[in-house]
Amino acid sequence: MIKAQSVRKVFGSVTVLDGVDLTVAPGEVVSILGSSGSGKSTLIRCINGLERLDGGSITVDDFDVSKPRELAEARKRSGTVFQMFNLYPHMTALQNVTLAPVEVLKRPKAEAEAEGRALLASVGLADRADAFPSQLSGGQRQRVGICRALAMKPRYLLLDEVTSALDPEMTADVLDILAKLAKEGTTMVFVTHEIEFARTISSRVVFLEKGRLVVDLPTEQFFAADGGLANPRIAQFLSKMRKD
Amino acid sequence: MRYTEFTPFDIVLLAQGLGVSVGLFLATTVIGLLIGTLWAVVRFYRVPVLAQVITFVAELLKNSPVLVQLFLVFFGFPAFFHINLGPVEAAVITLSGNTAAFVYVIAVSAIESIGRDQIEAARAFGLTKWQVLRHIIAPQAMAFAIGPLTGLLVNQLQVTSLISVIGVMDLTKIGNILNLRTLKPFIVWAVVGVLYYLAAKLIAFAGATLERRLRAHTAWKGL
Amino acid sequence: MRIDLSLLVPYLPFMLEGALLTAQVCVLALLGSLIVGALMAVARTSANSLLRRAASIYADLFRNVPFIVQLFFFYYGLPEIGIYIDAFTTGVVALSIAGGAFTSDVIRSGILAIEPGIIEAAQVSGLSKRKTFTKIVLPVALRTSVRPMGSVFINLILTSSILSTITLNELTGTAKIVASDTFKPFEVYVVLLIAYATLTYLVSLLIAALHRRLNRDLGEAVR
Repeated sequence: MIKAQSVRKVFGSVTVLDGVDLTVAPGEVVSILGSSGSGKSTLIRCINGLERLDGGSITVDDFDVSKPRELAEARKRSGTVFQMFNLYPHMTALQNVTLAPVEVLKRPKAEAEAEGRALLASVGLADRADAFPSQLSGGQRQRVGICRALAMKPRYLLLDEVTSALDPEMTADVLDILAKLAKEGTTMVFVTHEIEFARTISSRVVFLEKGRLVVDLPTEQFFAADGGLANPRIAQFLSKMRKD
Repeated sequence: MRYTEFTPFDIVLLAQGLGVSVGLFLATTVIGLLIGTLWAVVRFYRVPVLAQVITFVAELLKNSPVLVQLFLVFFGFPAFFHINLGPVEAAVITLSGNTAAFVYVIAVSAIESIGRDQIEAARAFGLTKWQVLRHIIAPQAMAFAIGPLTGLLVNQLQVTSLISVIGVMDLTKIGNILNLRTLKPFIVWAVVGVLYYLAAKLIAFAGATLERRLRAHTAWKGL
Repeated sequence: MRIDLSLLVPYLPFMLEGALLTAQVCVLALLGSLIVGALMAVARTSANSLLRRAASIYADLFRNVPFIVQLFFFYYGLPEIGIYIDAFTTGVVALSIAGGAFTSDVIRSGILAIEPGIIEAAQVSGLSKRKTFTKIVLPVALRTSVRPMGSVFINLILTSSILSTITLNELTGTAKIVASDTFKPFEVYVVLLIAYATLTYLVSLLIAALHRRLNRDLGEAVR
């Protein structure tokens, strides 16, 4: 269970997150929607401890991310996929995937490599395992990024606009993989601009506006005319996103 | 001299040594700047043979130890050309040549930063070669080069310390003398080091100030 | 005024010994500079402000004081406090400390140039600070530092000639002996000049090749 309670985050004079409450139970797929600057990515960065909280608390399976010692445990339970991939440039795809299992989980190298190869194969990169990031296309890099997160067998997968840096064709590849993971029951929290995709795979949708979580509804209700769409701001946001 | 303690006169000695170092540094900087710039102009106008020779000499001077250049001039020149050269003359020749080689490289890239199209445009307006050099190239190249030049000069000040090896009474040589007399190497070399350090900082400060002025001069001031 | 190099042929093996010593000194000093430089770069990018301050004072000091002064400080100073090491070791230590100042600059900018997202990825995957540094930050920084490290190494080679002033018979030291033996200082130092320039040129080719090889996988990530 990921539990965020009255989370506040301030950058200088700007309040980016202003009392956000969010609970994600195992098995759920939660999309976070909102216009840019609404604090979506910051929320993800608070959950994995990349940003220090200015108020409230976040726990991952009861481990408090604001306590250094518990953060390590919390991080073992969640995996993050980044918008800009952030692959280690000096390591091959396989080395990117096996680094943390070997160094953090102390898995035997051969075992980690076998699993890493299997993971890469499952996203269609069996023959690219020994390629360096610079030799891969954007879509391939992001698939490696997903494998790197999955290799730690996380209970929760945090995805921060993972298709924003990709062109449409590559976006489809990556979304297919995420859909498959959702179907297999992987718990996911993702920030996205792909409204239709969010609609098809998520079980719940939350909507952030100016750092406040204004709507938190099951997907069907969120997109229903008498549900989320009844909120004029959401209707406006959705129609704007669809036009783009 | 049998004194082993420091005397007040040592301060005068150090000041003299610093004076010699700074004096030679300033003199060779001026000469080096002139020669290096001249070389760059020769290369800019693609003077045949001369341009190639200059490039070769500059590379040789940049990529060999100054100490060896100093030995070549001080010991080699008198023996080979049958001339008389004192340590100071040898130091001036060597340091000027070495500075010139580095100035040449900086000046070449400064001129290249301007772009030939701008120069050709100026020529098309009927400016003479000299006018182009004076009004178009020089001011822009100066603003570009002042940063790297400051770095170079801070370095060249340190290079002057090598002339102590051929017997010039510079700051390092005075350090040697005091070191042998007092047998207090830590104090002597620390003081000498601090003096060099302060001189280096002074050059860096002067360079930064000059750069700000030049930049302010070339900056867009509006209509 | 004719250059006759045949006189130098019998001295070639002797000078080659000197060259070998220069090579040994430079390789050891390069390793020393890398170790000192990496440690200082870590200190200069650490969160501890005292450590940061101390390391930048070190780099500033050793870059702005002439190497010969630093060398004399160690060579004459260390026996004062009961440390007796030979000229070779003193030379390597002094070169490592001076080279370390420049190396720390190079590695520091290599570290600062790393995409923050890459470090964040390592952090969220649970890697400790130390592991993140040794597995991600340092290897990436070192790869991007190959070329500027090359200039530091070439400077190290040129600077090592100064070790001849503390009785070490490396390349320049042996040349001095040959020059006074043969009474042909001009020929000896011209050859020496060209030898150093050739050596540094070859090293620069080697560095360019190493840079290409190490960074073939990094692609645009380094640019």
